[in-house]
Amino acid sequence: MNRNRQGKKRFFVLSIFFFIWIFLIAFKLFNMQVLDYTTYMAKVKAQTNRIEELHSKRGTISDRKGEILAISLLSKSAFISNKDNALSLAVFKKICALLALGNSQKINVIKRIRRGEKFIWIKRKLTDDEFLQVKALALSKDVAGTIDFVDEYRRVYPQKKIASHILGGVGIDEQALGGIETSLDSEIKGRGGKLKVLIDARKKIFQFKYMEQPVTGRDIHLSIDAALQFFVERELAAAVEKYQAAGGAVIVISSRDGQVLAMASNPDYCPENIWRTPMPVLKNKALSFLYDPGSTFKVILAASALENRICGRQEMFDCHNGVYMIRDRQITDVHPFARLSFDDIIIHSSNIGAVKIGQRLGGKKYFQTIQKFGFGRRTGILLPAEENGILNALKQWSGVSLAFLSFGYEIAVTPLQMAAAFNVLASGGFFIRPDIIMNDTPGGSQARVLSAANQRRLTEILTAAVSRGTGKKAGIPGLEIAGKTGTAHKVKRGKYARSYVSSFGGFFPAHDPQVTVFVMIDEPQGLYFGGEVAAPVFKAIAGKIMLYLKLFPDMPAENEIRI
Amino acid sequence: MNRKGRSLADFRLAILAFFIFFVLFIYSSLNLKNVDLGYRQHELLLAEKKLRLEIDSLLARRAELLNLERMEKIVVEKLGYQYPEAGQIIKVIEDDNE
Repeated sequence: MNRNRQGKKRFFVLSIFFFIWIFLIAFKLFNMQVLDYTTYMAKVKAQTNRIEELHSKRGTISDRKGEILAISLLSKSAFISNKDNALSLAVFKKICALLALGNSQKINVIKRIRRGEKFIWIKRKLTDDEFLQVKALALSKDVAGTIDFVDEYRRVYPQKKIASHILGGVGIDEQALGGIETSLDSEIKGRGGKLKVLIDARKKIFQFKYMEQPVTGRDIHLSIDAALQFFVERELAAAVEKYQAAGGAVIVISSRDGQVLAMASNPDYCPENIWRTPMPVLKNKALSFLYDPGSTFKVILAASALENRICGRQEMFDCHNGVYMIRDRQITDVHPFARLSFDDIIIHSSNIGAVKIGQRLGGKKYFQTIQKFGFGRRTGILLPAEENGILNALKQWSGVSLAFLSFGYEIAVTPLQMAAAFNVLASGGFFIRPDIIMNDTPGGSQARVLSAANQRRLTEILTAAVSRGTGKKAGIPGLEIAGKTGTAHKVKRGKYARSYVSSFGGFFPAHDPQVTVFVMIDEPQGLYFGGEVAAPVFKAIAGKIMLYLKLFPDMPAENEIRI
Repeated sequence: MNRKGRSLADFRLAILAFFIFFVLFIYSSLNLKNVDLGYRQHELLLAEKKLRLEIDSLLARRAELLNLERMEKIVVEKLGYQYPEAGQIIKVIEDDNE
């Protein structure tokens, strides 16, 4: 009986403790769920909710055949998470043995470690091999979380220097620094996004929602052909080296639709190193280099004369045996002639003959034709830093302006403008805006500036200029090439200097033009005539294009051609 | 309340308890399934991203291997081909299969 009472007492005491325990738990739960709900909820959210920044990937740039010219790859950037200066210095010493770092970079990192900074970049955008080496070091015990990595996109240009001036390049933060990367930056770079994620205790994501959907940059298909670009750059570089020139430019245009197949500018650079390339090298001479075109501009004069019907093709002009005075200015011909026909003035590139045609034509009509051929304004190609050129308004012309403009002086043009002007003849008389992007509907912007009949007449004259005129060295046996040479003094400090720009513009096959090529060599040493310097470059390029695009001349016996 | 009425009340209570249990079971199962699918979805997202990166990496590698300077070096130095000389006569073999 007594024992039974004692048992009940014990049960009663235990029950009290049990209820107190239950009450405490209930109180704690009430406290957590109701009274301190917001505090604990905030802690939960802080532990489980994350917002991840999603980086946008720049679009891929490829050529007309889909060969990749620029692509962004995810790479790792290594940094020191500095908690202990001595340890960080020791770790950095080991890293220096693995990575090729510059002395100034090493000194900078050491200084920052000694200053006790917590976050110090070691090297950004490591290559795969570098990452594997640094990762192995980061995982070793003695390094203990001192090295860490973040993901960043790295721009890769697999063709290295090829098409560097067209592509441009990007900086360390993928900011556009030139070329198509700059002109189409807003489309190529895309837009970053935000992802709201819920993570568990193991930091694994079990729920996510896009707060902002990332937009990948647009892929760009250029109109250029990487193989042609390679050949063109190769020939241009060889010519620049051979003539010790300051540089040069070559433009290759598809005659029918104005699409740029190749655009080379020398000197060139590697887009991956654009940020350490000197400014003058970055200049795309094809569209930023201004020069007086010289005799290549006689093509515009001839077009204007034919359109305005100011003379017959066989009409003779007095060429004054190579010396002619206009006011106090002397105009000379390299090869003196007493009299030349209209055709021969262009074929033999007579300055005096051109002046005579210009005088008969008159300033107003000539000025209108020059404008129709696109001079004095940008072509509008989708590349940055294109120059307008310089074309003085008619009312600003002096008494000798018309004469000098007749053989390509007192006007500044870019090689691209000249290429577009030559393409007027190749396209059947239409001015087509040169395009660097592959379009579904190429050649959309066309304006007739020359009648079909005059285009044919002028083509005949330019074909003769190559077969028996100043452009002989551009000729390829069997392949009909129409073209014109040009040699012009450069303007230095406001005066014409004794340095030259040699050029040659042409197209082929002349009876059914497929390709228009314009070559400009800046300040060649020794030889400087367009027919001596630029024409052979044209020939070399035309030969390569002929083989590459299979634009074979009428096939002689047994399919043999001479190039 | 007689015995029969009490057993009916107990049965109703049991049905209600079962129903509540069933609803809770379904609810928690769906929640667990949801979490499980969340893990799976994220794994797939990561796998997709990884594959995309791998594709980009392979494309870049392919483009590097097809680098024209490299190709030219192989063609000229290893295979012994030469560019035709200026004025050289070459024979064009037209391929009908192209």
